[in-house]
Amino acid sequence: MESATVAVGHDHADHHHGPPEANQSSRIDRQTLGILLFIVSEVMLFGAFFASYFFLRVVVDPASWPPEPFELPKAVAGMNTAILISSSFTIHYALESIRRGNRAGLKLGLVATWLLGATFLFIQVNEYVHLGFSARDFSFGSIFYSLTGLHGAHVFVGLMLLSFATIRAFRGHFGPKAEDHLGVEVPGIYWHFVDIMWIIVYVTVYIL
Amino acid sequence: MKFNEAAVFKWVVIVGAAGASIVAVTLLTRPLVGALLLLAMVIAGGVCAYRWWMLQKRH
Repeated sequence: MESATVAVGHDHADHHHGPPEANQSSRIDRQTLGILLFIVSEVMLFGAFFASYFFLRVVVDPASWPPEPFELPKAVAGMNTAILISSSFTIHYALESIRRGNRAGLKLGLVATWLLGATFLFIQVNEYVHLGFSARDFSFGSIFYSLTGLHGAHVFVGLMLLSFATIRAFRGHFGPKAEDHLGVEVPGIYWHFVDIMWIIVYVTVYIL
Repeated sequence: MKFNEAAVFKWVVIVGAAGASIVAVTLLTRPLVGALLLLAMVIAGGVCAYRWWMLQKRH
């Protein structure tokens, strides 16, 4: 009786280790679902910052925005916007390439995206240096640096994700099947989100 | 509803085009006109999203 129990226990152990497998949606893989939920939380974070921005602009300090004598470099930021939007096209090209089995296109697209993202960040930091006001200058300075800095931090995280994807691409990872290039797909979705947020930041903070 | 890189890329193009039109209108006229255009786009987008959602519910 005892040996039978032990045998059943061993048999059971051979088939299953650890906790039961988590349920998975048949519509969306867990990595994509993860980045979707993350982006939803990020939208709420940016929403809180935008709410602060509009509150400060409309309710608290309506006399002049930006306050005299501060001026925002619209042209430089516009150029930076064009650079970031271009990077969305290059990462899309990278993904389209790997979907067709073109590894060289994947590498080229990832490297181009990384370089464009790094250029954006460099120009942003350079802009901060030459702006002539700091985060201590009125509520305008605080919210300007908060919003653009929050976005800059997201670009930095995106660059880290792209670095990992690029290194993996050069090591021969990824393939044409959907489940074989999730390591590029997920950072790609994140990168597009960062681009969309910048377009909104640029239009509201620099233009309107 | 699909959620993948290609679908999100379409949104980059849509938001980019909307942003470009707001920038153009604001620079050609006044910031208030650009803000009104932005408001109109947000309302139109909300209506479209609501209609799409109702259609999804029906199906």
